[in-house]
Amino acid sequence: MTAQTPFIALDRSGVEALSERFAEPRWMREFRLRAYAAAEALPMPTTAEEEWRRTDLSSLNLRAFHLDPAVPSGPSARPDLPPGVIFASLAQAVRDHPDLVREHFMQHCVRPEESKFRALHGAFWTGGVFLYVPERVDVTVPLSGAVWIQSAGVAVFPHTLIVAEPGSKVTLLDDFGSMAGSWEAFVDPVVELVVRDGATVRYVSRQDWLAAVTEIGIVRGRVGRDAQLHTLLADFGGRITRRNVESLLEGPGGSSEMLGVLFGHNSQHFDLHTLQEHRAPHTHSDLLYKNAVKDRSRSVFSGMIRVHQGAQKTNAFQANRNLILSAGAKADSIPNLEIMANDLRCTHGSATSRLNEEHLFYLMSRGLRRVDAVRMVVEGFFAELFDRVPLPGVRMALQQDIDRKMVQ
Amino acid sequence: MATTNPLGINVEKYKYGFFEPEHYVFKARKGLDAAIVNEISHMKGEPDWMRAFRLHAYEHFGRRPLPKWGADLSTINFDDIYYYIKPTEKPVSSWEELPAEIKRTYDRLGIPEAEKKFLAGVGAQYDSEVVYHNLKQEWEKLGVVFLDTDSALKQYPDLFREYFGTVVPPEDNKLAALNSAVWSGGSFIYVPEGVKLDIPLQAYFRINAKNVGQFERTLIICEPGSYVHYVEGCTAPIYTSDSLHAAVVEIIVKEGARCRYTTIQNWSTNVYNLVTKRAVAYRDATMEWIDGNLGSKLTMKYPSVYMVEPGAKAEILSVAFAGHGQHQDPGGKVIHAAPHTQSVIVSKSIAKDGGRAGYRGLVKIYPGAAGSRSAVRCDALILDDRSRSDTYPTMEIDEEDVSITHEATVSKVSDEQLFYLMSRGVKEDEAMNMIVRGFVEPIVKELPLEYAVELNRLIALEMEGSVG
Repeated sequence: MTAQTPFIALDRSGVEALSERFAEPRWMREFRLRAYAAAEALPMPTTAEEEWRRTDLSSLNLRAFHLDPAVPSGPSARPDLPPGVIFASLAQAVRDHPDLVREHFMQHCVRPEESKFRALHGAFWTGGVFLYVPERVDVTVPLSGAVWIQSAGVAVFPHTLIVAEPGSKVTLLDDFGSMAGSWEAFVDPVVELVVRDGATVRYVSRQDWLAAVTEIGIVRGRVGRDAQLHTLLADFGGRITRRNVESLLEGPGGSSEMLGVLFGHNSQHFDLHTLQEHRAPHTHSDLLYKNAVKDRSRSVFSGMIRVHQGAQKTNAFQANRNLILSAGAKADSIPNLEIMANDLRCTHGSATSRLNEEHLFYLMSRGLRRVDAVRMVVEGFFAELFDRVPLPGVRMALQQDIDRKMVQ
Repeated sequence: MATTNPLGINVEKYKYGFFEPEHYVFKARKGLDAAIVNEISHMKGEPDWMRAFRLHAYEHFGRRPLPKWGADLSTINFDDIYYYIKPTEKPVSSWEELPAEIKRTYDRLGIPEAEKKFLAGVGAQYDSEVVYHNLKQEWEKLGVVFLDTDSALKQYPDLFREYFGTVVPPEDNKLAALNSAVWSGGSFIYVPEGVKLDIPLQAYFRINAKNVGQFERTLIICEPGSYVHYVEGCTAPIYTSDSLHAAVVEIIVKEGARCRYTTIQNWSTNVYNLVTKRAVAYRDATMEWIDGNLGSKLTMKYPSVYMVEPGAKAEILSVAFAGHGQHQDPGGKVIHAAPHTQSVIVSKSIAKDGGRAGYRGLVKIYPGAAGSRSAVRCDALILDDRSRSDTYPTMEIDEEDVSITHEATVSKVSDEQLFYLMSRGVKEDEAMNMIVRGFVEPIVKELPLEYAVELNRLIALEMEGSVG
């Protein structure tokens, strides 16, 4: 690839060029520079660390990537919204609502110092979505954001920030995609979901990179008293996807539903780490991740339920189901529990199996071709999860993704 | 002796919390270097290959870092440990020859009673050397060998050399390297083809000197079609300075054979218990680990079974009880490296008084291990809000044609259960005891009677004062 002049390098001068380009206020420019200094100081994780044991980044050369501020990223439609609701690209929000952004952006949910990749994100973030819902406002239309990559060698740092004030309700669908090809790109997304007391947030992310994308990102929600967070993460594309999905239950009565769908083919590698962190009593979390792998693809589910001292009357569930569709495919499952309270109910389950030949035989005896029978069984595998998604459009889109992956 | 009373137990009442004055024939100096390793080998009159093996292991021990995962091991001071102590000149063959204080120790452990009950031969380990060994004559006739490991090296050099270090090589981990360098004592069992021992073989282990590391080495070979049940019960007196127990157990279970290995571990609460236990199971062979962990400051122990030929089976049952200041990190590993292999892991852990108990395990299915099945079940009971339970299962599945399940629950003793029992006139502490006994019942019922009784009694002791 030839680096053209509008491209911005991933170094300190790049941070300054980026801030200049967006004519950012001084505080944001300083924020970026601090994050860059943190990124410089933090080591690149290696497989010697337990967290990174199953994803080898030694072949990832960040210097080979450049920034392109022209990558489309942000709200994909702007329906009429109730007064007070802010739905804008993050760059726009920095200009129009600096105080709100300054209060929440990488301050109290995800922070740059946490790791190399969070710090890089803090330094180089571009585009993304800022969604603010005032107290007791119910946004009935699902909103959507999108990121689209079509140039090789690009590094993208999209940021989604939702702040749902007490008693509000909102749904956001994020769509991450790219042109097809064998070219490489690097994506480091951060999603921050701030769910205040009594608010309800539903967040759906669908990732379908059709190029050789390496993605390292995080989705983290803070859930207040009697608040509800629903997340659904669907992963289909990319070469390497490493993501943390975390729910911090901080107020009594808070609940988090965490759903995940993954379908790997060829030599795709997915490494998902989930966290259900119960910091307050009477909190509830319910996780279901369903992974299907074929060809030589590999999925890793590493889940943690952590219940802090004093978080009594907690209910925590975690289920991981893996379907292995080809000899050569791999599915690792690491469902962990760390429990420091005693008055609770905490259960996890994991099951890995292949296609049930008896089910296939039954369907084929009814006249279905094998390929259709297999498709039906795979659909059945995911149906349990799709049934829990109250968004018919999302259900249908995911179903089509699964059908496509079956033949891909 | 200072009674720190770490378990909330009345130490005077605590039958196993006694100790005898030290009286030793030889005492090596603290710490470890090549000269001590040489000295140990020389004192034991070992062949050159074993001396070379020890030195190689020592060299690896020095180079190998401590594991980064799991509990913090950096508090172990490897220079503050005696690596070899020889209590008497040589193993004795009858009870009468034992030193009086050792006899007293065993009296309190109940060994003579075990004899009277016509139990199997008792191999008792006092500090670093097996001092008392009694093998029933009829088994000798069958060709069964049950010796302390040092004697086995002398009496069966070829057999010993063929298997020693093949299941757990010194390079396996830092603690295995340490054990390989300084091992002493342990049991050696050889069961010839087709011989089925219907009475368990038993050994009691003890640590009884300040800062004495126990580095026993056990090797069990089950020839095709044989069966043996080996029982190791560990009880240790309470001491004030930290102690290290780093044993290695190697088991070879050949075609169609079955081996069951039962451990009731009750080290005093200052002992680091870091044990490498591993078995290799061949075609249609069965390996069963039954592991009860009550004592110690920290236990990290993951009995493993490598199923290397079709039809091999593994069963791991684990009970852990962590009281104040204790961290129990037991678990199990099952490696499916051949088709149609099966494994079951059941783990029950209880934490109280700020203790930390749990399960850490691995289910690994290699490509080609088609038709393999594995089921893992972990249950945890937390008795108060200061204690902690961890579950770290790992499943690595590289094969399509498999069925793998894992389930875990963590809960407290439910008020309904307590209320029901109390409404039947059972007092609260007794009710609590009954519920905990019921919780561990699936594993206790697999133990020989004496051990089931002992385990229940130990749990009752640990449970004292947990109500109100």
